[in-house]
Amino acid sequence: MAAAKTHDEGAPESGLDTAREAPDASIPAVIGAKAIELVVMGLEIAAVFIRTLYYCVRGRPDLGAVVRQMFEIGNRSVVFLTVVMGFIGMILVLQGGLQVKRILPEFSMVGASYLELLIRDLAATISALMLATRVGAGIAAEIGSMVVTEQVDALRMCAADPIDYLIKPRFLASLVMTLVLVIWAAGVAMLTGMLTAYVMFDVNPRTFFNLNLVDTGDLIVGLAKCLAYGAAVPVVAGHSGLHTHGGSEGVGWATTRAVVNASLAVIVLDLILSALGYVFFGP
Amino acid sequence: MAAKKPPSAASTPPPDVGLLEEIGGGFMSAAATVGGMGLLGYQIVRRLVTLRFDRQETLRNLYRMGVKSIPIVIVTALFTGAIMVIQAAPLVVRLGAQGLLGWGAGFGILREIAPLLTALMINGRVGANNTAELGTMVVTEQIDALRVLAIDPIAFLIAPRFVAMVTTLFLSTIFADTLALLGAAYGGLGLLGVEPKTFYNGLTSGLLGLSDVTSGLVKSIVFGVVIALSSCQYGLGVKGGAPGVGRAVNATVVASAAGIFVLDYFVSFTLD
Repeated sequence: MAAAKTHDEGAPESGLDTAREAPDASIPAVIGAKAIELVVMGLEIAAVFIRTLYYCVRGRPDLGAVVRQMFEIGNRSVVFLTVVMGFIGMILVLQGGLQVKRILPEFSMVGASYLELLIRDLAATISALMLATRVGAGIAAEIGSMVVTEQVDALRMCAADPIDYLIKPRFLASLVMTLVLVIWAAGVAMLTGMLTAYVMFDVNPRTFFNLNLVDTGDLIVGLAKCLAYGAAVPVVAGHSGLHTHGGSEGVGWATTRAVVNASLAVIVLDLILSALGYVFFGP
Repeated sequence: MAAKKPPSAASTPPPDVGLLEEIGGGFMSAAATVGGMGLLGYQIVRRLVTLRFDRQETLRNLYRMGVKSIPIVIVTALFTGAIMVIQAAPLVVRLGAQGLLGWGAGFGILREIAPLLTALMINGRVGANNTAELGTMVVTEQIDALRVLAIDPIAFLIAPRFVAMVTTLFLSTIFADTLALLGAAYGGLGLLGVEPKTFYNGLTSGLLGLSDVTSGLVKSIVFGVVIALSSCQYGLGVKGGAPGVGRAVNATVVASAAGIFVLDYFVSFTLD
């Protein structure tokens, strides 16, 4: 996890934070403390992830909770994602077209390259960044306020693991809904991109919908990204939510931390998966 | 689940709202928010023009928003630079145009990706933070206390944040432009074997002009205004105690992210 900054504003009451604000903390000491924090947080997130996977197999089956979370994560994000991806489609084709105009006389390749880029990277990554903002903030705020009002402690008292009860349904719902939402978002972005190309550059929709450049590798990388982001966002946000402290103000910090960490997780996973895709499937 | 609903009229639905009422309510609350942001913007500008805002508070906010966001800006920019190269790689390899890599990655980074991703990250970090802070102040009646002491909350709390946020985003975007190009140059070396020198030549060969840089920077200012206005508006409008703060934080990151993308299109469209 490249979330170097997580704690800089988060929890003012953590021990490392006071160390950082000590007047004579030298720069290596600060960097060292940050590095240790980072490793600790990475391990904690990994632990949450592994326990989530364990409970997916061995936990108590609760289809109702998963379906409710699917509604929360999926249906309530549709409008937001449609607006964002619609505009992204228009922006990309507009900017791309204007640049291509400078070096190429014709636009037949714009559509093909745009579709390839969209399927391999942008549909999944931009949607996931938006979901990290919307879903991540929601998960962290919800779990965080449960922690602050001691409902999570109450769960533990009942011998129920909060990861089984709270994070697992969100994890499963997010895995499914991210995939569905990304496919929908890609469709929206293709449509608005096609309309922009038609209106601004007079590209025939038939020329635009040229899937020649899209191969199996692109599709596999795109779908792998959907799954990776769908798994990462609830785990990272749930971790922030479960580590809320400091009353109602702490919920605000936890939400911020969840959004930043989940977005960074998406960017880091994007780089890793894009590089792997490049290595395995070639350019 | 209540924490996820937008703080609109729809959050306490009467028993049998039809779809039409719900859509209408959504539009009404959106209009109220946008109108409130406009009013808030007007009030801020009035304070700024007459120089009635707290300088000390501005500097403090610049430190908290700007200096402390540097790590995320660095990480995001370096990673995105490298991602841009990977995404541009197939075109470069297919056309055998190593010299165009600098142009391809450069225009993407300078015009779109660096301003957009910096704005999204700062929105998550600073915007959400700002709403949480102002919201807590509203809930604990600290803002009313300021008014009782005859201190203008807009001049003391809001205008400094506005200035600090716009400045932060502008400077971070310049910073992110540079770092993303660096990430792209060395990503190109590691992945495609394109020398950084070739990359910089492609960048400066005349296909990219100053207008590409300024277009990105104009966007960053617009995004800064959007994030500042929406986070302050949602923060000041918090109702319903502590859970209300969580709802407001949630609503503000979503609203600013949508606003950023919508305005991105219109700014790109206007500038070309």
